[in-house]
Amino acid sequence: MDPSFVQALVDIVGEEFVSTRADVLLTYSVSASIGYDRVVPGTVVRPASTEEVSQILKLANKHKIPVTPRSGGSSLQGEVIPQEDGLVIDLLRLDSVQLFKDLRSVRVGAGVTFGVLDKYLNQHKLWVPVYPDSSLVCTVAGNVAVNGAGPGSGVQGCIAELVLGLEVVLPNGEVIQTGTEANPNAPGPFLRYAFGPDITGLLIGSLGAFGIITAVSIKTFKRMEHFYYQSYGFDTAEGAERFLSELRHNDVSIPMAAIYEGRILEFFLDMIGEEYGIPQTEWPPFTVSATIGRIRKDQLDSDIKMAESICMELDGRVVGVPELPQGEWEDRMWTFVRSSYVHGWWWMMLYHHQAPTNWHRSVEEIWNVMDKYGILGQTAGFLTGGRSYNFYPQLYFDPVDREEEEKVREAHRELSQRLFKTGAVPFKLARYWVEDVEEMKPYLQFIKNLKQNIDPNGIMNPGILGGI
Amino acid sequence: MTEIDLDDLREELLQCRRCGICRNSVYEAKGFDGICPIWRNTSGFETSFMRGKIQVALALLDGTLERTAENAESLYQCALCGNCTQICAAEFHPAHIMETVRYVLNELPNESRDKIAESIKSVDNPYNEDPSSRRVWLEELGLNVPTSSEILYFVGCTSGLRIQNIAKNTALILNAAKTDFAVMENEPCCGSVMMRTGRMEEARENAEKVVDAIKATGAKKVIVSCAGCLKTLRKDYSEKFGIEMPEILHIVEYSKELLAENKLKLKSLDNIKVTYHDPCHLGREMEIYEEPREIIQAIPGVNLVEVNPNRNTAICCGAGGGLRSYDSDLSRKIAADRMKAFEETGAKTVVSACPFCETNLIAGSKLLDSDIEVVDVVDLLRRAIE
Ligand SMILES: Cc1cc2nc3c(=O)[nH]c(=O)nc-3n(C[C@H](O)[C@H](O)[C@H](O)COP(=O)(O)OP(=O)(O)OC[C@H]3O[C@@H](n4cnc5c(N)ncnc54)[C@H](O)[C@@H]3O)c2cc1C
Ligand code: SF4
Ligand code: SF4
Repeated sequence: MDPSFVQALVDIVGEEFVSTRADVLLTYSVSASIGYDRVVPGTVVRPASTEEVSQILKLANKHKIPVTPRSGGSSLQGEVIPQEDGLVIDLLRLDSVQLFKDLRSVRVGAGVTFGVLDKYLNQHKLWVPVYPDSSLVCTVAGNVAVNGAGPGSGVQGCIAELVLGLEVVLPNGEVIQTGTEANPNAPGPFLRYAFGPDITGLLIGSLGAFGIITAVSIKTFKRMEHFYYQSYGFDTAEGAERFLSELRHNDVSIPMAAIYEGRILEFFLDMIGEEYGIPQTEWPPFTVSATIGRIRKDQLDSDIKMAESICMELDGRVVGVPELPQGEWEDRMWTFVRSSYVHGWWWMMLYHHQAPTNWHRSVEEIWNVMDKYGILGQTAGFLTGGRSYNFYPQLYFDPVDREEEEKVREAHRELSQRLFKTGAVPFKLARYWVEDVEEMKPYLQFIKNLKQNIDPNGIMNPGILGGI
Repeated sequence: MTEIDLDDLREELLQCRRCGICRNSVYEAKGFDGICPIWRNTSGFETSFMRGKIQVALALLDGTLERTAENAESLYQCALCGNCTQICAAEFHPAHIMETVRYVLNELPNESRDKIAESIKSVDNPYNEDPSSRRVWLEELGLNVPTSSEILYFVGCTSGLRIQNIAKNTALILNAAKTDFAVMENEPCCGSVMMRTGRMEEARENAEKVVDAIKATGAKKVIVSCAGCLKTLRKDYSEKFGIEMPEILHIVEYSKELLAENKLKLKSLDNIKVTYHDPCHLGREMEIYEEPREIIQAIPGVNLVEVNPNRNTAICCGAGGGLRSYDSDLSRKIAADRMKAFEETGAKTVVSACPFCETNLIAGSKLLDSDIEVVDVVDLLRRAIE
């Protein structure tokens, strides 16, 4: 990389926070994404403030250097793999937290993880009730950039639903603020839909393609203290699917709910069953593992009754094993990490949303692809808001078997195409979802136009958002 | 140590899925409040914490990265504290595997590692100090301690040569409890730092020397006052070299027995508030968390307050894994950071159970200009003995 460019970075952040060392660059050539090729960047810089980020982007724009914003580096679908010889901006030093107790909101810098925020809010008996299973490593800003979800989303939906405003450094280095905080006289973040079109929404899920989010303002809620854990059994997928929909339709508050088909549940229990103390059980063909949570006990009691009566109406049964949902919920910041890493396989992930009533279609296609390619995998997911089911299927391969890895990469591509046909949607616009899909062309063209206007030099995360 | 199969080593390193949870996880419900002290106290690039270190190790092994001192820096810039292992969900032990990587790649340039190994080989201690001064502290105490007995106090290099108060107070405790014990004339180094820094062959030769020396004392029980000596003698010798050892006890374990048998009479210390630092080798490695606390709490007038985080999620003092010699500035900086956390407890005294931690915490305290006193459990216990 041009030494004068590197020197200019040093002038902005100081020598300590710029690196062009081979070992450092190597470690930024990958992320938690597995099954993606590594790409070595040219420089890594670690700014400490919005002002520094702004100066860096001005500089990169002037030199037309491709930029990859990076926070936790925990994304799983290649979103933070940099450009060859490009610039990685590591945002973890932006670690401020500001609570607006009266407005029931909090503003966090781009480097703040969910774990850090949760500890902070807990002192005030508050929370942001969406916990990606990567909460210990991923940042709130990074999760907004991918529009993620997690345990807790059963009530609140994906992270987008909670965002009240963003501070964004545009590719030309200008800083904008969205939501109520766009008005410097406002007491803080209290409404996202201020000043016309939803610019906040444009940035959510944008994978850093339109600018760098330096601060996120987000809703806080009183922490639930009353929980009830139960597993409900159904003979058919339809029964389990309808159960989830009816629960939300009747306003039963379920921060976490997941449908398990028998064979996947068995696999999950092999991984984590003993740790959660889950007893030997005659499991039904389809199990809904649910955590019901409320602020008040009377609300909880009413929800428990309602859940049971819906279950009965749908010819289901109460399985009576609370340990499964309880383990999932209480370990929510790392349940998935534990169940996914205790075995030796590596995996590729294909996050997507499916209508809960269509849950079985995703499951069918995942199995079809696994059978076709002769590979193993799983079909897990969780309810997100009342109207969507967030799948995170994994396709496994042996880390030292290149051939098997290739097979999984191919299966992954095919699965995305098959899922698209079932009506599933991605929450992040990876290239493989829309590549060559005729029906998506006008949509993609619109995004291209936006990108051209916002980032005419195409420096921000090129190729990541839908291949643009 | 059995031959390392490079394919197996690579496979084990590939258990890392690059999740990054070993960087700075804060998980209040599980007691985690930050993970890697190197990440927190350096520029914080990916190479500073375990996810990056594993990537560097793989690249050095397969030749993607050239084997230079600069490229190897991140492997040695690690205290091997094991906090990353504590949070890692994958089926491997990142900190232990880093030790193996250092061994396999031990031709990588590292001056401090080589100096220490040479010093242990030539003068039986890593400090290159005159070994004949090892029993001077005993003479100063005026105790007549033999060189052979059924119970041996294995003093360790740091207590024997640097912080002799720990040696003295350990001996005085044993004496007060009427325990007959021996101290060697020419005590060798346990070789811990050789193992940590990858000089495994020399560590094996050294271990054989240590075993012979201990045998010569006739000891059936060995008491140590250093967490590093404990782990090395009790765990590493058998696991790495298949050497059988007599019973090895840390003085906190032994003192607990003495207290239970009423062999020590304790007087009240004037209402002091102390906090406890869990040494990585005593805690995460040997899972000894409660004994030192029980001893502290057994002393009337002493009020123990916990620092956050503590026990299995405690943050390292920054001395271990050869870091104190490899990068002493960083090591001290980590200690100063840790001292800040101790200050927040409101305690006026930090108690530890490892002379190496104590040395570094004192250095950190100076850097911070802190007025907290740093002592060992044996210092506190000795003060309370009537
Ligand atoms: C074990 C594990 C479990 C997971 N579980 C979940 C889960 O339950 N739910 C879920 O949603 N995800 C999950 N993920 C995926 C991942 O954690 C999320 O994608 C996460 O939100 C990424 O955040 P990050 O801070 O690590 O971002 P990074 O990985 O650093 O970046 C992600 C993307 O956002 C961009 N970006 C990062 N920061 C900014 C910024 N400040 N401004 C603009 N663009 C930015 C990057 O360029 C990249 O495109 C999991 C990952 C792992 C490893
Ligand atoms: S060492 Fe463990 S915790 Fe760290 S990145 Fe690798 S798998 Fe994750
Ligand atoms: S062993 Fe300790 S110092 Fe080394 S990488 Fe792990 S947490 Fe960091």
